[in-house]
Amino acid sequence: MEKMSRVTTALGGSALTGRTMHCHLDAPANAISVCRDAAQVVVAGRSIFKIYAIEDEQFVEKLNLRVGRKPSLNLSCADVVWHQMDENLLATAATNGVVVTWNLGRPSRNKQDQLFTEHKRTVNKVCFHPTEAHVLLSGSQDGFMKCFDLRRKDSVSTFSGQSESVRDVQFSIRDYFTFASTFENGNVQLWDIRRPDRCERMFTAHNGPVFCCDWHPEDRGWLATGGRDKMVKVWDMTTHRAKEVHCVQTIASVARVKWRPECRHHLATCSMMVDHNIYVWDVRRPFVPAAMFEEHRDVTTGIAWRHPHDPSFLLSGSKDSTLCQHLFRDASQPVERANPEGLCYGLFGDLAFAAKESLVSAESGRKPCAGDRRHPIFFKRKLDPAEPFVGLASSALSVFEMEPSSGSMSWFVDTAERYALAGRPLAELCDHNAKVARELGRNQVAQTWTMLRIIYSSPGLASAASLNHSVGKGSSYGLPLMNSFNLKDMAPGLGSETRLDRSKGDTRSDTVLLDSSTTLITNEDNEETEGSDVPADYLLGDVEGEEDELYLLDPEHAHTEEPEYVLPQEAFPLRHEIVDTPPGPEHLQDKADSPHVSGSEADAASLAPVDSSFSLISVSHALYDTRLPPDFFSALVCDMLRFYAEQGDVQMAVSVLIVLGERVRKDIDEQTQEHWYTSYIDLLQRFCLWNVSNQVVKLSTSRAISCLNQASTTLHVNCSHCKRPMSSRGWVCDRCHRCASMCAVCHHVVKGLFVWCQGCSHGGHLQHIMKWLEGSSHCPAGCGHLCEYS
Amino acid sequence: MFVARHIPADHKDLIHDVSFDFHGRRMATCSSDQSVKVWDKSESGDWHCTASWKTHSGSVWRVTWAHPEFGQVLASCSFDRTAAVWEEIVGESNDKLRGQSHWVKRTTLVDSRTSVTDVKFAPKHMGLMLATCSADGIVRIYEAPDVMNLSQWSLQHEISCKLSCSCISWNPSSSRAHSPMIAVGSDDSSPNAMAKVQIFEYNENTRKYAKAETLMTVTDPVHDIAFAPNLGRSFHILAIATKDVRIFTLKPVRKELTSSGGPTKFEIHIVAQFDNHNSQVWRVSWNITGTVLASSGDDGCVRLWKANYMDNWKCTGILKGNGSPVNGNSQQGNSNPSLGSNIPNLQNSLNGSSSGRKHS
Repeated sequence: MEKMSRVTTALGGSALTGRTMHCHLDAPANAISVCRDAAQVVVAGRSIFKIYAIEDEQFVEKLNLRVGRKPSLNLSCADVVWHQMDENLLATAATNGVVVTWNLGRPSRNKQDQLFTEHKRTVNKVCFHPTEAHVLLSGSQDGFMKCFDLRRKDSVSTFSGQSESVRDVQFSIRDYFTFASTFENGNVQLWDIRRPDRCERMFTAHNGPVFCCDWHPEDRGWLATGGRDKMVKVWDMTTHRAKEVHCVQTIASVARVKWRPECRHHLATCSMMVDHNIYVWDVRRPFVPAAMFEEHRDVTTGIAWRHPHDPSFLLSGSKDSTLCQHLFRDASQPVERANPEGLCYGLFGDLAFAAKESLVSAESGRKPCAGDRRHPIFFKRKLDPAEPFVGLASSALSVFEMEPSSGSMSWFVDTAERYALAGRPLAELCDHNAKVARELGRNQVAQTWTMLRIIYSSPGLASAASLNHSVGKGSSYGLPLMNSFNLKDMAPGLGSETRLDRSKGDTRSDTVLLDSSTTLITNEDNEETEGSDVPADYLLGDVEGEEDELYLLDPEHAHTEEPEYVLPQEAFPLRHEIVDTPPGPEHLQDKADSPHVSGSEADAASLAPVDSSFSLISVSHALYDTRLPPDFFSALVCDMLRFYAEQGDVQMAVSVLIVLGERVRKDIDEQTQEHWYTSYIDLLQRFCLWNVSNQVVKLSTSRAISCLNQASTTLHVNCSHCKRPMSSRGWVCDRCHRCASMCAVCHHVVKGLFVWCQGCSHGGHLQHIMKWLEGSSHCPAGCGHLCEYS
Repeated sequence: MFVARHIPADHKDLIHDVSFDFHGRRMATCSSDQSVKVWDKSESGDWHCTASWKTHSGSVWRVTWAHPEFGQVLASCSFDRTAAVWEEIVGESNDKLRGQSHWVKRTTLVDSRTSVTDVKFAPKHMGLMLATCSADGIVRIYEAPDVMNLSQWSLQHEISCKLSCSCISWNPSSSRAHSPMIAVGSDDSSPNAMAKVQIFEYNENTRKYAKAETLMTVTDPVHDIAFAPNLGRSFHILAIATKDVRIFTLKPVRKELTSSGGPTKFEIHIVAQFDNHNSQVWRVSWNITGTVLASSGDDGCVRLWKANYMDNWKCTGILKGNGSPVNGNSQQGNSNPSLGSNIPNLQNSLNGSSSGRKHS
């Protein structure tokens, strides 16, 4: 620690050495000032007034200026200043309005020299003339500034701040006759010392009190001011009107400001409240401090650079009763710790990325974009090439958007919208969903749906399957041809699978996968399938593996299970069944037929998987003569659902859960189901799929979920004829006994979405009105109004 | 695969955070220039700045959206030691006509004595809650008891982490089986090799947050931390940005086995660790399903990580911050030969994106 922080600075012969260190004072400090030789510092406060020698390793108390048994109020110092030409001359400002000068050269213990009791209230600031040995300036709460000639007993001239309290006075370093003063009302005045009658210039610098100011040590026109409005402003005073050239935003009121020696754009600040740290700012980067000193535990009251030509040592006094020497090198640098990047994954797979320009454009040398406003800075930089400036950092913001064709989240939206979850027999639902999944290129999911269909709706069909099969072939033209074509291609031993392949469409990878599943190809083959297509296929491996076992298990279980197996109740899609249908083979027959009817009506594609999967099953039945209860699979299906959930595809888990209903529900604990539901609903809502989300809520069996839609929505309806509120729950008004909200097209009561023209107030079913308006622009009610629906 | 769309952000200093809203149609950015900007996506996919205002008197480190159920609400946190909650005002005004929206400050949370380094809204099912963490090592959890009144927040919990905190992440799981949980990362750079990631869990019995786990293996400063969206998983996935990217899984050990009432015990596994950025990693962000992780580092690149069915995490994409393609196969050493066929695709798509990018 000590080794690293010892620093020696060569300053034209004399050398400054030291390290970051602090010493304890007996009392809180109000102000500090450094001697010209940079080896001594004076600390003044309400009950302290001491001189310390700054040695390499420590501060050493040299002199206590509070002498006498009963220290007078004159010693309660608000400010202290050490003459920069005379090492023996000090001045203090007392809180009772007295200005005292001290002569260290006096032989007696009491070094007090002169006493000016002209101010009526606290003197906030005293300031020696930088080049004149005998001129002292003071600024007081009473609104006056006084100039003293130390050779005389009283003030030479008095400057009136028009009853505004003076917070700071500073002689200009370059202009012999000029000084600046700051006021509590936010004004800054510029005075010529020879003209006490009125100020040379006045301007409003801050909102609220201006606590401090400091002239730039080299640049003669620059004055920095700090105020309660948390800002430090740098003014160019050379122009006709004071011009604000920089503005630094700090996080607390600015109590002191001091330009850093040898660093043209740096200044140090400390605050009078809340914030105990000392900051060094580069005024060109006004938002982030260049350095931060965090040693003090209470408000920092005085800061001073140790030597007017050395930028690395800063001294500070604080209310926490410590005196510190800070080494610039040991400062913490908030810029370094600040995060230079922002990154956020969007809903649709897009990425927002903001990064420091130097990070992203290091190699490519991209031109700064149009909105860049760094040009003034570059200009300044040219003026000042000696001082390296890391740059006013700026960030490049870009959004990486997924091309619609590639794997954005559109599959999720499409799947959610197109899946059928209820309202049809299980087999149909599975087929439909398999088809949807396949069309979206999600073959693994499609496969799963097909398997679910096989598992849950085929055992009873064993006898019917062959029949269906032939019927299906007969009824769907074109397809059998393809079927046979494929058959030729494939190995003859795999006849049953090939049909299934065809049903899968012509995706090659799928064929491979299916082959592997049914023929139990070894791991190497699985590897092959991985490489071949979309990443989603990786996932398949696991499920496939399980299904492999399933097929393997078939024969064994066939022997253990009884051949005359009776179909359990769960096999029926209870939810969608008409209750009075007698359970029995005839009914099964019906059910088996239904997909065919719908299939041939709609499109052949949906039909294809149906009959081929049937054929698969029929083959397996033929081979092993098994009739496994669906219960047998439920553990497996639950595992599969969990697998999907763990893989982040909660959509699949919930969809299957809803479609299978009672068949699997009891095997998965309520809490997990609820978790899946809430997760899926949350996702749907993110994509604004409100309808799907409501459907899911409605179909869910978990009480916690289904009550989601029953909370806090009340619909108040008025009768469209008598304009009275509809009190009863029906659609007939109690009062006028007519049906409310009739559709103008079909003359039925509209339940659900009702759309009406705001001009003639006729309307009806959304679908009907839309259809009507395609043909006519007149109101369907015949009122002659030219309706506008948008 | 990706098209880069550059947005002239016009922030006057570094941007520290970007955040999409719940529906992915709005974006907020915050910067050291003390301002927050809100961007809305137009029909054509362009992002327009619809609001820009000064939020703090110091660098704004983070900005985050609340669930839209609570309104259009943002929270920001800053070097100025405060966190603030902002709400968009709906109403007809001149601003509206110019396509600008108006945001008002609903509250300022001033409890921290040091820089507030992160702010995050709790998952929606917990109500309107907000967690902040600060450089003095304290995580604070606030709650708005009345969701209609965004100006009233009460400080519910103060968790001391003993280390300067840099980032927090709520566990997003909505399962009743998972108690509210928050992970805290520290960027404390002091040489002592203390664990920099702590996980706190809410205990129903004591009604306090208690430390559930400490990730002992993470001893370097942590810059970002993110739980993956849970989506029905029984376990949690946590991504950490430190000197490399790390992915941990936390599997709750069944309650019956642990002493009831105590904090949940977890089986913690590190499932991936990537130093491909060759430098500090600043940010990690999960996609919506928690299957792809994006990370960004000092190399100015965004890298995408994805697991295959064997739970092997691999790099699936590299994006240069300015949209230019990344030269050379930077997946060396990590890429599995079986993935070989994917790489040319990826390179092609990256090249394609560079030609398609816009300069606006």
